[in-house]
Amino acid sequence: MSEAQTFGALARFRLMAILCGVNLLLLIFGYMPAKHIFHVVQTHQWMVFIPVAHGYLYIIYILTALQIGVQKKMSLPVIIALIAAGTLPFASFIAERRIVKKYS
Amino acid sequence: MNSKLKKFGQGFLVLLLALSFISLGIWQLHRAQDMKTSSTVAIDNHIYPLTDLAAASGSIPPAAIGKVVSTSGHYIANFKAPHQKDGKGVIADWDVALLQTDTDTAILVVRGLWQDRFVSPEIVMSTNVEITGTLLPHQNDDRAENTAQQLSRLDSSLLTGQTQMQLFDGFIMEKSESTRSGPVTRTRISTPVLTSGVPGFYWQHISYVVIWWLMALVILWLPFYGRRNRINP
Repeated sequence: MSEAQTFGALARFRLMAILCGVNLLLLIFGYMPAKHIFHVVQTHQWMVFIPVAHGYLYIIYILTALQIGVQKKMSLPVIIALIAAGTLPFASFIAERRIVKKYS
Repeated sequence: MNSKLKKFGQGFLVLLLALSFISLGIWQLHRAQDMKTSSTVAIDNHIYPLTDLAAASGSIPPAAIGKVVSTSGHYIANFKAPHQKDGKGVIADWDVALLQTDTDTAILVVRGLWQDRFVSPEIVMSTNVEITGTLLPHQNDDRAENTAQQLSRLDSSLLTGQTQMQLFDGFIMEKSESTRSGPVTRTRISTPVLTSGVPGFYWQHISYVVIWWLMALVILWLPFYGRRNRINP
C-alpha cells in the first residue's frame, strides 16, 4: 500500500468523520427539537436538508471507514466501532482523533 | 465437530443479520414509494358515500384517498388545528370537528378557518349536517402541542382516549356543508397537496434504503475479510 494511497484514505476518512459529526449534531440538537418540541419543521421546510444530508453523508462515511479499516488491517470490532461512531454524537470526532494519532 | 458447529452458527448469524438489513431496506423503499404515489392521485369528481370507500376502525384504502365523499351526522366536538398548510401554501389555524356519522362511528372533518368558527351559530350538537369533502389520510407530523381543545395533527388516533366511538382513519376536508335550513356559507380550505408536506422526506427514505443494503453487504463481506487477514497477516 503506497503512502499516497494511505494518506488519501486517511484524509477522506477525516473529512467524512468531521462532516458526519457536525451534521449529526445539527440533527440531534437542531432538527429533532425543531420537529418534536417546537413543531416548526412544517413551516420551515429547509430544515429537512439536515436528515437527508445525514443519510447520504453517513453512506460515504461508512465507505471511507471501510477503506481505512481494510488498508490498515484493523480488526473486525474496530471496523464495526468505526462504522457505529457515525451514529453517535461526538463519537466520530473521537474516532477521527484516534485514527489520525495512530496512523498519521 | 465443535468448529463445524461454530462455523454454522456464524454463518447463520451473518445470514440472519444480512436478511434483517435487506428487509429494513425494503421497508424504507416501500415508505419512499408510498410518499411518491400519494402525490399522484388521479382527479375524480364523482361523489361517493363515505361508507362505500372506508370503514371505521380500519385504515383508509389507498384508492380512496383524495376521493370526494359525502356523509351526514352531528358535530359532537370541535378542535383547533394550528399551523396547517392548505393547497395554496397558506398556513393558518383550522376549525376541525368530530362528526358522528352513526350511533358509534365518527370522523374528523375540517370545516374551515378557525377565525370563522362562529359564522354558523345555528349549528349545534343536535343539528343534522350533510357534508361533502375530500377524504384524506391522517397526518403524521405534529404542528403544535396536543391538548383537549387542540389537535397537534389531523389524526383520529389522538382522540381514542376521549371517546368510545369507532373513529375513521383520516379526515374529510369539507367542500360544502348543509343543514335542513340550507347550505352553510363559509370560507372553505383548498385541499392540501397529497404528500408528506416535506418533499425531502422521499430522498431521506431512499438514503436509508442505501444504508441498510450497504450494511447487509458489509455483513456478508466481513467473514471473508476475517479469513483474508488470517491468511495474509
